Amino acid sequence: MQNRPSGFGNPWLQLGVSVVCVFGSELLLKRGATEIAAPDDAFSWTGINGLASPLVWWAIVLIIASFLSWLYVLRYIPLSLAYPLSRVVDILVPLGCWIFLGELISTLRWCGIALVVFGLALVAKPIAKMEERL
Amino acid sequence: MSFLAFMFIVISLLAFVTAQLILKKAMEFSATKGMRNSYFVSRVAIGVVLMTISFFLTLGLLQRFDLSYLYPFQGLSVIFITMLATVVLKEKINARLTIGALLITAGIVLVSMS
Repeated sequence: MQNRPSGFGNPWLQLGVSVVCVFGSELLLKRGATEIAAPDDAFSWTGINGLASPLVWWAIVLIIASFLSWLYVLRYIPLSLAYPLSRVVDILVPLGCWIFLGELISTLRWCGIALVVFGLALVAKPIAKMEERL
Repeated sequence: MSFLAFMFIVISLLAFVTAQLILKKAMEFSATKGMRNSYFVSRVAIGVVLMTISFFLTLGLLQRFDLSYLYPFQGLSVIFITMLATVVLKEKINARLTIGALLITAGIVLVSMS
């Protein structure tokens, strides 16, 4: 972590950028998918019809941006630190679904989401170490 | 949720995890042998194809389900990686991983019932 660039090149800022881009892309994908949803059409299981929505294309831009900033982060921050921190997106996405998409999340679903988040918090570090070796 | 939808969720996640591992192998290979060789190019191509498959399957699923319903299933990727690590790396799973995997599984069962 020596010679860490400052300003926009600060790896911690880029980690934040990456997380925000993932969060934004998930919400945009859902909006886009809803826009062109054709659940009765079997072909729509392939998702290819989703390309008709501009929101999906914006989501793709954000996915690429998050990927680039993530690669940058990995040059400076060890995976076993960066990966657990990046999992904050697992809390942001359900909150975003509730606030921005107006999804009605039942108590049962909140409980399930909470268990998944606790489980991920527990395993994030050992998993990152495994991935370093895989 | 139908069996078909569950299958697509699992295939999408497996494709994503496999792509990550293949891309990582390719990048490690390129660090010593460079990028101008068929091994590197073919691995990157396979990785990109798998990630694309995963992306479109997710887009198909999002047309049918809430994001707050589908998103927790991504926790399953951790369980796939753990299984791969035990098989590929012959790692012993410690108590922390076991408890975490059980919590994630329990959480996903609750979400899929909701």
